Amino acid sequence: MGLTRRQLLKRSSIGLGAVLFAGCAVPEREMVAQSPGRIPEDLVEGFDAHYATLCRVCDNPDGILVRVMEGRAKKVEGNPDYPLNLGKHSAKCEAGLQALYHPDRIRTPLIRDVRGGEVRSATWDEALDRIVSKFKAGQSQPKGMALLTSPLKGHLGLVASRFAEAYGGRHFALDTLEETVLRQSMKTVFGQSRIPHFDIENAKCVMSFGSDFLGSWLSPVHYSRQYGELRQGEKRGKTGRGILIQVEPRFSLTAANADTWIAVRPGYEGALALSIASAIIREGLADEAAVGRFRQLISAETLAKYSEDGPEAVKTGVSAKRIKELAHEFVANSPSLALGGGSAGAHTNGLFNLTSVYALNILVDNIGKAGGIIFNPESPMPGVPDVRKSNTLAEWKQLAEDMRGGRVQLALVRGANPVYGLPGEIGFSEALGKVPFVVSVTSFHDETTAQADVILPEHTYLEDWGDDIPDPGPGFQTVGIQQPVVMPFGSNGGTALVPAGTSQGFGDLLLNLAQDVGGSLQKDFKDWGSFDDVVREGARRLYEDKKGALPLNVGTTTASSFDEFWIGVLQRGGWWDHKAVATKRGKTPGPFPVARDPEFRGSPSQFPMFLIPFPSHSLGDGTGAHLPWLQATPDPLVTAVWQTWVEVNPATAKELDLKEGDIVRVESPVSSIEALVYPHPATAPDVVSIPMGQGHKGYGRYATDRGANVLDLLGSGEDKETKAFAWAATRVRLIKTGRRSRVPKTEGVVPAIQVNHAPVVQVTRG
Amino acid sequence: MVLQEKIENKWGMVIDIDRCSGCQACVVACQSENNIPVNEEKDFLQRRFFEWIRIERYWEGVEEAEKTGDFTKVKARFIPMLCQHCSNAPCEPVCPVYATYHNNEGLNVQVYNRCIGTRYCANNDPYNVRFFNFFDPEWPETLRNQLNPDVTVRTRGVMEKCTFCVQRIRRAGRDAAQEGREIADGDIAPACVQACPTSALNFGDLNDASSKVSRMQHDQRAYRVLEELGTEPSIIYLKKVDTHAGDH
Repeated sequence: MGLTRRQLLKRSSIGLGAVLFAGCAVPEREMVAQSPGRIPEDLVEGFDAHYATLCRVCDNPDGILVRVMEGRAKKVEGNPDYPLNLGKHSAKCEAGLQALYHPDRIRTPLIRDVRGGEVRSATWDEALDRIVSKFKAGQSQPKGMALLTSPLKGHLGLVASRFAEAYGGRHFALDTLEETVLRQSMKTVFGQSRIPHFDIENAKCVMSFGSDFLGSWLSPVHYSRQYGELRQGEKRGKTGRGILIQVEPRFSLTAANADTWIAVRPGYEGALALSIASAIIREGLADEAAVGRFRQLISAETLAKYSEDGPEAVKTGVSAKRIKELAHEFVANSPSLALGGGSAGAHTNGLFNLTSVYALNILVDNIGKAGGIIFNPESPMPGVPDVRKSNTLAEWKQLAEDMRGGRVQLALVRGANPVYGLPGEIGFSEALGKVPFVVSVTSFHDETTAQADVILPEHTYLEDWGDDIPDPGPGFQTVGIQQPVVMPFGSNGGTALVPAGTSQGFGDLLLNLAQDVGGSLQKDFKDWGSFDDVVREGARRLYEDKKGALPLNVGTTTASSFDEFWIGVLQRGGWWDHKAVATKRGKTPGPFPVARDPEFRGSPSQFPMFLIPFPSHSLGDGTGAHLPWLQATPDPLVTAVWQTWVEVNPATAKELDLKEGDIVRVESPVSSIEALVYPHPATAPDVVSIPMGQGHKGYGRYATDRGANVLDLLGSGEDKETKAFAWAATRVRLIKTGRRSRVPKTEGVVPAIQVNHAPVVQVTRG
Repeated sequence: MVLQEKIENKWGMVIDIDRCSGCQACVVACQSENNIPVNEEKDFLQRRFFEWIRIERYWEGVEEAEKTGDFTKVKARFIPMLCQHCSNAPCEPVCPVYATYHNNEGLNVQVYNRCIGTRYCANNDPYNVRFFNFFDPEWPETLRNQLNPDVTVRTRGVMEKCTFCVQRIRRAGRDAAQEGREIADGDIAPACVQACPTSALNFGDLNDASSKVSRMQHDQRAYRVLEELGTEPSIIYLKKVDTHAGDH
């Protein structure tokens, strides 16, 4: 149909943006740019299924839904029902898919006939025969068996610890950024063995000491969700926008989002907290009863040393005026909440730091109140490990000694990479070399597996059963259930859907091993069945204890049979009860640790800079380095990817004649590494920061020979009280190498356009 | 360039910068949903990496910090940047083959099999959110298992960009039609919005006065990026609130 002149003029005049020439009769269909096939033009009209399970890339697992089409996992999404993350998820959760379909996954059992030699493929029978014979032979000296794992909770934790116990061996859990100090401070201040729920969402003022809770600390998705509400939550009408104060020597993601960033001198977080407490009391800002409770924990004599203008406060590098302001700001914006962790606890005085920080909560009397510290109730599964417990650095040192002394004959490693994840000074690699027989149960080669005699391929978490009691939990009883979302990925390269049965779950492996080894192990695990039976029986006890109550979005419903309950928890991704909150107050607090200054490895004259290592935003302490999406996720602040960089104050960089992309040798008293310089405008002149996670020697194609491992630099200092790893207590110096390389990053790729100065919204203080 | 007069939905997004923590969850969620190939180190060095949504980080107060030495006054500002689905998009009229056009739901759409790769659109795009496939995308064979069957894998020589996860919009439309109802507010969440831990990203129908985004777009903090160019973006940003804006 042609256009009449009248129609044409009409259409031109209503501004369609098309250039039309009068007199040319354009057929209308040619003017329709709309694609006839609505894009995406090849949309697959298939059915997808969503399975609820748990993300095991995160340390404190978030609940996820995995979209599965035709037997393939396609997308990880947050589980909207799971109380910890309420439908939200992180970059790490997404990348779990790449672990499942990773091209370098170990697909068959491998045997290394000669130490240091190549591995060869083997059958499960051959590999298991070797392991069983070693375990049988080792029964005469059971203490020589060491089970080395990541921190395990839930029924997998139960099976692993029972396995080690029944055999008579020892169980070690490795967490490089161990939470030992944090947990001890919870016991000291609140009398709690479980980490409380920090009610950031309902607080008005959050003061965080070293805990990068938006980036990497404990449960970032859980805290980020709350942070959004702290700022602009719809229900905040009355309290208004909450404020965030970050006290940390490094400009972390949380510091970047804070209204105020206090760059305290490294290791003096506790001194600053006590100075603030002292100011609060001296200014008469806290009520008498709260001050009384505070004094039960911290004596008046101790506190007297920390007056805001005293010598101890001067050491923090924060002025007396600022300390007073912080005291006022913290108390005036009630409900207020103090948090601490990360590098603040990773000093030789770590426990003193964190205990002092958490004691601030006593002064503002926020315990058990909205916007404050909400205790987590006891686990609904008694007897099942419910805290993310790991061994201290001192215990790992002892293990290395035992290995060197020939007291360890047998090591079974799973999910832990101590050769990479312990400070180089301990020499764990060489110690492990002295162990006559090492078994690794893993999906990927890594530095520890490289020293194993037998390697057994393990399911990834998307193929396996499990459960979890979140720690920290959301303030009420919660259990997450992990179920396989796809069949185990086959040895045929994944071209066929038929499972080849080449990998096994770790739980099943231990249970089978127990039967094959016999003796006390066999007796102990006689009636346990397979690991999915163990998880289901755990749920059955929950069903019986809780009389079948199943969570709904609001309230609960009751299952009439266990089968209904079981299907219900699998569909929801777990079980929780909003009403099952903590009823017990903690025991009497104390004793308060000895107040001391931090000690650093390396003298200030030779090593003028403080080194603050930090878990990479995406790679964590290095466990995520094999996943390409995480390698390619820009650091939120530096925007760098795929590499190791060192953040240096621009003025310091100028002094040392360093520019972005210069390769420097970072030297500590222990060792040295090379990294790319990034002049970071929000860095103290005497502090350098280096992300963890890179520098793997063999961790799949995406991680191997890339960047450097900052852990190699660190001295093996410990917190004086808990003997936990003081990973922020090393000093370094920078030496220019003269070589250069470009920093791979997203910053500066797109030209920035400066618009007329439009200030960010200013709010007046109420 | 659309002649249909009836526009039922106008999809749009409201991004609250005061909530955004810059955590990059949206970036990876988008890459997973939309079959974006892995950005390797060389891609970053060649400036040819693909991020349909990216987090731009700006330093503020750097010059002042250099003068005073007070590095604690430096601020980092984050802004998620993605195709703005402009109502008056500069990238659309320059396409000689109608590969990019505005559809009747307010989406700026890229039709891959029309695209001949002139890159005029990218040249004319003030937001730098269009990406050209200089190479065929590659995945190791096993990683192909995770590809989303709803989304075309783009070949060498075509332009690509954020689609507002049109496959999810279509799916929600079909689901609603099956149930005999209209699409409700909240039915559709593009991958980035779904992931966003702080709920900084919000998606919905700007034509529906009762939708969340319609309410939010009238916030006094609302602005559009480069709106002085007259592009009329469908993405509305809400300004960051700074408690210390008047201090210095």
